[in-house]
Amino acid sequence: MSKIGVFICHCGENISATVDCEKVAQDIRKVEGVEYAIDYKYMCSDPGQTLIKDAIKEHHLDGVVVGSCSPRMHEPTFRKACAEAGLNPFLCEMANLREHCSWVHEKGEATTEKAFDLVKMLVEKVKRNKPLDSIKVPITKKALVIGGGIAGIQASLDIANTGHQVILIEKDPSIGGHMSQLSETFPTLDCSQCILTPRMVEVAQHPNITLYTYAELESLEGFIGNFTAKIRLKAKSVDHKKCTGCGACFQKCPQKRIPSEFNAGLGNRTAIYVPFPQAVPNKPVIDREHCNYYKRGKCKICEATCPTGAIEWDKEDEILTEQVGAIVVTTGFNVKGADFFPEYGYGQYKDVITGLQFERLASASGPTLGEIRRPSDGTIPKKIVFIACAGSRDEAKGIPYCSKICCMYTAKHAMLYQHKVHDGESTVFYMDIRAGGKNYEEFVRRAIEEDHVNYVRGRVARVYEKNGKLIVKGVDTLLSGEQVEIEADMVVLATAGVSNCGAEQLAQKMHISYDPYHFFAEAHPKLKPVETNTAGIFLAGACQAPKDIPETVGMASGAAVKVAGLFSNNELVREPLIAVVNRSAPPVFSTCVGCFMCQTACPYNAIEREEIKGRDGKVIKTVAKVNPGLCQGCGTCVAFCRSKSIDIQGYSNEQMFAEVMSLLNH
Amino acid sequence: MDKLREKAAALLADGTVTMVLGYEEGTNKPRPLFCHTAEQASKLVYSSQCINNLAVYLTKKEIMGAGKVAIIATIPTLRSILQLSVENQLNEDNLVVITVTDKDEVKQFANFAEIEAYIADFQLKLDGKEQEIITKLEGMSREERFKFWMEEMSHCFKCYACRAACPLCYCTKCIVEENRPQWINPWAAPLANMEWQINRAMHMAGRCTGCGACGDACPVGIPIHLLTRKMMEDLAPEFGFTPGQPSKNGNALSTWKADDKENFIR
Amino acid sequence: MNNNNSEFEPKIVAFVCNWCTYAGADLTGTSRLKYATNVKIVRFPCTGRIDFMLLLKAFAQGADGVIVSGCHPNDCHYTSGNFHARRRWITFRGLLDFMGIDVSRIQYSWVSAAEGAKWADIVNTTVANIRELGPYTEYQKVADYLDKEDYNG
Repeated sequence: MSKIGVFICHCGENISATVDCEKVAQDIRKVEGVEYAIDYKYMCSDPGQTLIKDAIKEHHLDGVVVGSCSPRMHEPTFRKACAEAGLNPFLCEMANLREHCSWVHEKGEATTEKAFDLVKMLVEKVKRNKPLDSIKVPITKKALVIGGGIAGIQASLDIANTGHQVILIEKDPSIGGHMSQLSETFPTLDCSQCILTPRMVEVAQHPNITLYTYAELESLEGFIGNFTAKIRLKAKSVDHKKCTGCGACFQKCPQKRIPSEFNAGLGNRTAIYVPFPQAVPNKPVIDREHCNYYKRGKCKICEATCPTGAIEWDKEDEILTEQVGAIVVTTGFNVKGADFFPEYGYGQYKDVITGLQFERLASASGPTLGEIRRPSDGTIPKKIVFIACAGSRDEAKGIPYCSKICCMYTAKHAMLYQHKVHDGESTVFYMDIRAGGKNYEEFVRRAIEEDHVNYVRGRVARVYEKNGKLIVKGVDTLLSGEQVEIEADMVVLATAGVSNCGAEQLAQKMHISYDPYHFFAEAHPKLKPVETNTAGIFLAGACQAPKDIPETVGMASGAAVKVAGLFSNNELVREPLIAVVNRSAPPVFSTCVGCFMCQTACPYNAIEREEIKGRDGKVIKTVAKVNPGLCQGCGTCVAFCRSKSIDIQGYSNEQMFAEVMSLLNH
Repeated sequence: MDKLREKAAALLADGTVTMVLGYEEGTNKPRPLFCHTAEQASKLVYSSQCINNLAVYLTKKEIMGAGKVAIIATIPTLRSILQLSVENQLNEDNLVVITVTDKDEVKQFANFAEIEAYIADFQLKLDGKEQEIITKLEGMSREERFKFWMEEMSHCFKCYACRAACPLCYCTKCIVEENRPQWINPWAAPLANMEWQINRAMHMAGRCTGCGACGDACPVGIPIHLLTRKMMEDLAPEFGFTPGQPSKNGNALSTWKADDKENFIR
Repeated sequence: MNNNNSEFEPKIVAFVCNWCTYAGADLTGTSRLKYATNVKIVRFPCTGRIDFMLLLKAFAQGADGVIVSGCHPNDCHYTSGNFHARRRWITFRGLLDFMGIDVSRIQYSWVSAAEGAKWADIVNTTVANIRELGPYTEYQKVADYLDKEDYNG
């Protein structure tokens, strides 16, 4: 038999002005199971809480209902009070008599009756409450950061500086990402490498960071605080412990015409190579697909040249297993190539290039040493056309979103061009100018007003080659409303930012969600931008959506603090209002029939399959099991389990049924 | 027919299977037969009169504990087998599925993927009389419909034959047996009966394969198979699955699309 | 808002999710907006948790109307609970309508934690709507089987 204590609060006059609190307390005493009921002016105050604690002890109460304000306000307060009096805090519930009753109704019988009904409803619920203990999950205090661009670098440094170990993995031979390919960054026009390379070196030297380049995530298992990550260390064919980075090998390598990924295809590299001079680590790897030795068994010139004997021909990929507690995904993005655009020549015209390729031309360490030259004949272009929104904001091309950074980098490119080629003419065809960041608008005005870049509002319908020139056919919708034709020497497309290749597979390996464009999904678009729905896995940077460097760095630090917060305790404590699949004695074991509809529905992948085996080791049945570390307590699985084999603590089937029944019973 | 009996006998004789589920002649119409020996296999028949859905036995303990079995499946049974396999209730290695084609050939399926390809050619269609009832109901006003179903439900006496006949009703503890809380009143009264049917239809949403076994089994002839069928026909275009075929996208109720359409949520 | 004469007072139960509509109703209270007393709120963690049988049970117990409300699509605190709920309601509503149960007595809505005014409006319009429809005696008659003899529709 229940012994429930009911405490009705006047809340000063907030409740008592419209609800007859004394009457509610009197009437509720008549309900079966209510042992003690009083009303008081301020239940949440110290004397009020003492009343509750004393009553629990004196009357041996096994449940408490406080009829006062919204539980969203004071549930923790009253639960703590109950815990202090020795009553399990989850045996305390609140009836919302203020926000949902006294404040929204006029004084009258109906209002008092409604207050009584609401209290009775919670009494019926509490009769079926079970004492629960908070769930504690242990935590491995080591983080894994996947992706070594600026986001990964920032996140790794921030986490490492809080004193925790970080493993940073990067699939390319060097960290740095796209930021290392940029020449100058907006809106300050600082040299990108100059601000990035000190950070890259810091990462390599930081005692708390273990850096693996040429490495990828092979598989991921486990849950928050307890992940097991398998990392594939691809064979570099060069022993970095012996290599001194002298560079003799790649100077002699005969395979010199491999398109350089770092130079976005505009320059070449060798088969044994370091991607760029400031690479970290500054030691080469061998690209086995293009190396003469691996393809045909010949050459080995690098081995002969190497003074320390660092070449390892027979090295194989290694799989490294690491236990980590949190993961930050910073795998970045990619841009569409010029071959995506039929109207601009499908990549056939050598002088129609992407924004990233223009960066390489403008870069002092690029294929043209910083001079803007046409890829076709090496001459300096006198007229350049920049086409913004190439592919972005275009439903027909399957990319309806805005790639965010192109307006800014197009203005930057035009400015850089004007600075380098003083008599050059640049035209930007645009739809809108999106310059929302700090100093961004001023930057674009500078391009237009100081550097005299010609901005034409309109789209470009076609680009085609004629007599060595590129004919650009566009329109000026703002000033003349007429077609515009320009004979350009070079066309730069601000191509759409898209998800990095392999994003879908990576997301599936980690069980994180992604959107139709394969950008990784954040847990809440406004309030949880650096978390995913998979507890313990965080996001930062352009892998979530195209963004600029300041935002990326901000997000990376945000993700780092989430990780540090997670690691600040030895155990993860969670509210136990989670789902449980029933278990009973053999031969039934569980009424669950293993249809796993719940598993499909769970947004947190919290439902696992458990094989129930007999004494002989044979599987009797496979049933569902909820992982208490992952379940967030939404209850969706409970609502459609056909056999009602899964139930949720705190909002169990019995409790909800009793609440509804009691509400309508007088 | 002979080829079928031979096939069944062969499977039993060489020990491939311990049992063959099929049909034999009954008093009015064919009824299920469980063959353990080649002799029993000689009683097997197969015709359009074989309307019991044998897939209902595949989730029973006795069959599941019998090792590898063979089942002679009609088209509706094949659909049920696929749906059961999508719901993790069948072990492909323990089941030999045989059917008899339009041309009277005995066909043994190598795997479930083959079954899927085979039934894709057979469209689910309501027969004329049933379509009439549905059209009549759709034409009625709401009050008339309520009266109609209350009248039908007043005949039901909660025998649960519908549940017993349905291959997809395999829960070890059915929701009607749940008494904490009592979701469905167990007595036979029109509303309690309606609550049961509503529940059954909701539990069948997106899973029903339209075999009609429930309607056939009802001893007082309530057209309950129309409830589940109508739901299936209505939901299929909305939620993107083909009636009678297991959805590639997952069960209708445990999945969702961001653009599910409705016109009643404010 | 409340009529104290013998006019019919609908009994309405509201099933709401904790994160959006419950919070929205709290905001209605904080803003002191007034609405009818006929609606009593039952709190769920998410609309995905709401079992369809509870609606039927509410009607059987004497409710004349039901409100079901949660977070807007894409805003669910648990990401997809309201998407599941939406599918469930589409399915359930179609079935109920086919069986002749008065689905106009069930008001579904998306009310966010910031929409205190919308909640008040939903409550008031639903109460007015149900008042016009009258008590759901058609259903309650067949539900009271054990108390009365009249059970043949």
